[in-house]
Amino acid sequence: MFGFLINPSKFNKLADIILRPLVFITSIILIMGLFLVYVSPLDYQQGLTVKIMYIHVPSAWLALLTYSIMTFYSILCLAFKIPFGFIINKAVAPIGATFTLLCLVSGSLWGKPMWGTWWVWDARLTSVAIMFLIYVIIIFLSQTFENREVREKTIAIFILIGSINLPIIKFSVDWWNTLHQPASISKLSSPSIDVSMLQPLIVMTIAFSLVGLIIAILRIKAEIIIRKNH
Amino acid sequence: MFFIIKIFVFFRRESKLFFTNITDLFSNIVFFFLSIFIFVFALGTDEQLLKTIGVGIIWSLLLLSSILSLRKFYEEDFNNGILVIIHMSGISYELLVFLKIISHFLFVQLPFLISLPIVSIFFNLPTNEVYNLIITFFIGSLILSCLGSISASMNLLNKTNFSLGGIVVLLFSIPLIIFSVGINNAESELIYLINLLIGIALIFLGIAPWSSAAFIKLAISNK
Repeated sequence: MFGFLINPSKFNKLADIILRPLVFITSIILIMGLFLVYVSPLDYQQGLTVKIMYIHVPSAWLALLTYSIMTFYSILCLAFKIPFGFIINKAVAPIGATFTLLCLVSGSLWGKPMWGTWWVWDARLTSVAIMFLIYVIIIFLSQTFENREVREKTIAIFILIGSINLPIIKFSVDWWNTLHQPASISKLSSPSIDVSMLQPLIVMTIAFSLVGLIIAILRIKAEIIIRKNH
Repeated sequence: MFFIIKIFVFFRRESKLFFTNITDLFSNIVFFFLSIFIFVFALGTDEQLLKTIGVGIIWSLLLLSSILSLRKFYEEDFNNGILVIIHMSGISYELLVFLKIISHFLFVQLPFLISLPIVSIFFNLPTNEVYNLIITFFIGSLILSCLGSISASMNLLNKTNFSLGGIVVLLFSIPLIIFSVGINNAESELIYLINLLIGIALIFLGIAPWSSAAFIKLAISNK
């Protein structure tokens, strides 16, 4: 049932079936999310700038999610010798880098009117910037080595070492006194955010993940074709 | 018993190599001193300013000068085939990496300890900060050796992009820098921060042999 997660040909088959409906659903959800963002209420303190949140938070979540997926597949392909993980790692890294950059830039644009600076040396901000550098190094690594096996395994080991950063990002707002606010939405407690703002946030998160998924599917398919021709 | 003799022979070989190439080490230390002089020329000789930023500058330049010696970590032994010979004598690659890290720590990083008190005279550092600097460097150089091992073994088959090894060392040395420079203006007890540094050192001592050995095996099978 979950064979498409580790088998390239099954993945290709499934991708061919779901790609068109996925694009259709994604565009509907994205338009709906943008409309919900448009009609969502203004914050009584922050005014219009609160709408940056609907870009900032989903891209931050997706940046973390992408790195977690890469870590998972690195373990899978190193421990169980599943080559599909290498394809995923190479295809997904630029997507994660883009989302991290989007998160940093939108956060910077949000920080200027709210905190008064573009950038503070705060634990959360710094650790996310380090994650962006890790993504960039992964992209560099994928263009460095001549031998394919060396390249793929090096990237996988590097991803595993770099995953130390993930818990640091997650818990940085709890461990250190930071300017960045702690997580508003968590699984264990009720969210500290109003429902009228939570709805567009969740819809935008789903829309962002679907956009990321579509790009990932296209990139993975291209990577499989390159792999077959060599 | 036989095993201990093998390790002893390994260290004797390393020390011989060290004493034949001792000018290399001296040039590293000269690089360190010169870069500190250049930093002072660039900032001006305001005594108060130098006192406040002294430890940070010393640490970052120590990091940069330890990157200089990265290329000789595994490369010569790899090209000679010594790594395979040592492995065939019954030492696993993980243990080999561990011994290499220890010998790099003893022969390349520890000589910098002599230069630290002299450098702190230039910056007029107070005595307790000099003690802190020496303690943190003693632990931190072990972490630097581990990171150097990871990046040097990663770059064994890399023939195009040489600066990548330095980038990797700089990236993972961020926690080291945070805790070892922050030790001077910490409010809590000194011993907690030192324990934290020892913890980081043990983490990297656990990660480095595993990952370096994986890289070395990969490089040897694809040579």
